[in-house]
Amino acid sequence: MSKLEDSMNRRQFLRVGGLAGAGAVAGMAPVYAAAPNSANKQAIRYGMIIDLKKCVGCKACAAACKAENHTPPGVAYNIVMEDEVGTYPDVRRRFISRPCMHCASPSCTKVCPTKATYIRDDGIVVVDYDRCIGCRYCISACPYGVRAFDYGHNYHQHPTPFETEPSPEYGQNRKRARNTSPIGNVRKCTFCVHRVKKGLPPACAATCIGNAIHFGNLNDPDGRCWVTGKKLQSLLATRSHMRLREELGNSPSVYYLT
Amino acid sequence: MHEKNILASPVSRAIGYILLTAITVAGFWAIGDKLVEGPINEGTNQNVTWGLWVALYVFFLGLSAGSFLISTLIYVFKVKQLEESGPTALVQALGCLILGGMLIVLDAGHPERIYYVVLHFNPTSAMAYLGVFYNLYIAVVVVELYFALRPRIIEKIQSGDQPAWLYRFLSLGSRRLDAASLARDGKWLMILGIIGIPTACMVHGGVGTIFALSKARASWVGPLFPFLFIVTALASGGALLTLLIAAFGKMPGERKLALVGSLAQLTLGVLILHAVLIFLQLFVTSYSGNLAQVAGDDIKLFGSYSRFFWSAEVGLGIVIPLLLMALPATRKRVGCLGLAGFLIVVGMLAERIDMVVPAQLTPFFAASVGAYNDLRYLYTYFPSTSDILVALGVFALGIWMIVLAGKYLPLEVSPHKSAPEGGALS
Repeated sequence: MSKLEDSMNRRQFLRVGGLAGAGAVAGMAPVYAAAPNSANKQAIRYGMIIDLKKCVGCKACAAACKAENHTPPGVAYNIVMEDEVGTYPDVRRRFISRPCMHCASPSCTKVCPTKATYIRDDGIVVVDYDRCIGCRYCISACPYGVRAFDYGHNYHQHPTPFETEPSPEYGQNRKRARNTSPIGNVRKCTFCVHRVKKGLPPACAATCIGNAIHFGNLNDPDGRCWVTGKKLQSLLATRSHMRLREELGNSPSVYYLT
Repeated sequence: MHEKNILASPVSRAIGYILLTAITVAGFWAIGDKLVEGPINEGTNQNVTWGLWVALYVFFLGLSAGSFLISTLIYVFKVKQLEESGPTALVQALGCLILGGMLIVLDAGHPERIYYVVLHFNPTSAMAYLGVFYNLYIAVVVVELYFALRPRIIEKIQSGDQPAWLYRFLSLGSRRLDAASLARDGKWLMILGIIGIPTACMVHGGVGTIFALSKARASWVGPLFPFLFIVTALASGGALLTLLIAAFGKMPGERKLALVGSLAQLTLGVLILHAVLIFLQLFVTSYSGNLAQVAGDDIKLFGSYSRFFWSAEVGLGIVIPLLLMALPATRKRVGCLGLAGFLIVVGMLAERIDMVVPAQLTPFFAASVGAYNDLRYLYTYFPSTSDILVALGVFALGIWMIVLAGKYLPLEVSPHKSAPEGGALS
């Protein structure tokens, strides 16, 4: 059986090694870095400035979003994250309303195999329901968890008129029907692009009871909030602010005043 | 005949076929259900977006790429000891590719649009490149398999074996068995093998790249994943090939032991490399203390997946087969080596599930847990009935492939040499 033991001699070993080496080089798949951030050169970059000092955690934004976009159960474009800091009696609840960040360098659009999700010239990240294959790679890439897959659920076994009514999303007025888009697609916050087109602020901003959500063009030096009329740049200049997970380099268009 | 090996009596054979047919029918019913009803019965959710089907897809693709790379040792690098496993390796590569492809197409929300990946190619998407390489890989494997089997199929036609229509179809009209045509076969096997090596690496390394570029899943992100996937592919592909040759190989005892022994040695080496890479990945992330990464690994090492990880992936998949392949008492028995191959394949299946699921069980923001109450927003995952039925159906289809390939395809080495003499070794 010595032949068996010697069955891999040195030259063969080198060949196997060469194969593994070739594999290592080839494995570094051809994905190049993101294009340089051109968001600052655009005339329009829609964004939000959310004042956390004014947020009371009523979740009207999340409810307005549901009502406006007719999202089914299991699909939420806007959620309010809540936690508690401190120890009784020095304790406070914190709320963060979390729409899509509409990043200037989105991870989702980069990984989409079919260019179904893309960033518009005005900075809004949208999904083309007719092109999305439902692979959900964008959900794995989005570090803010804003994307949701439409599994086709309804709130009621026999959907109510509210559920069957077409959603105004993208101005397409689609009716959800079995196994047709947007069912089987990835869905997300659109900054209510169908409202923005008509000059109306997104539903969450319009409905916020404390006017905490400011919406407008962040690239306009004189840009004003579409709801309150406050100057957006002066809000950022005078108040301390942050963006979520800035270290990831996605450059979100949603700012939080802290 | 291989049936004698596994299914001794006609009764047990009949029961086996009935069971297999039942599982296949159930699986195809579940596939039809998904195609008609859409994704509503899937067990994944908004956090665990990729579940059992994706894990199995990665598993099957690994088996395919691994066995194809081993076949190139034969057809490109002319490793004589492995020669007799060449056709089996290529059939395995094609079969597993079909099974994996079925699962990933089905996993899409709109399977009917899957060709958009190539049609609307996005140059910044690893998945788009994978779509292209996947197709190239299918073509390479199919053509390579044709050239590997061609002389044997023509012999089948000449000896009047049934079903004649099948062999006439598989021969694509070719009838030549002269030295020139065999030399041409060998040349094409080599050329396609050379094209196939980077392609297979791109396909499975590409899947690793898809995971490694998923910014929201910290446990996947990192440069090791693409390389780890290629190593894992070789280990799992080698293991399945060892098992298949050990169980169904028709060569005489001494030659079979030599072949299975060589395959097992190759698999053993790659398995050790695989284990080292898995250890390095876990060690570096846990040492760094990066919370997002550690959270996913913690679930695997100490959390809800720990029993699965330590028993199936490490125990069954690495430790026991290493012993079986290395200990003097067992390493010269075809049965023990076949068992080791089987255990590695099972362990690799566990490894795929461990790799895919726990990394998705950790929340983006701690505060996002419970922000929206719905079954699809849970941080848990268990495959649905439909998921499991489809998976079982795909495995049943794999067993059909083994049965039918063993019965009809001429995988034994013919007196004609398909590869020309004169490799660097001879």
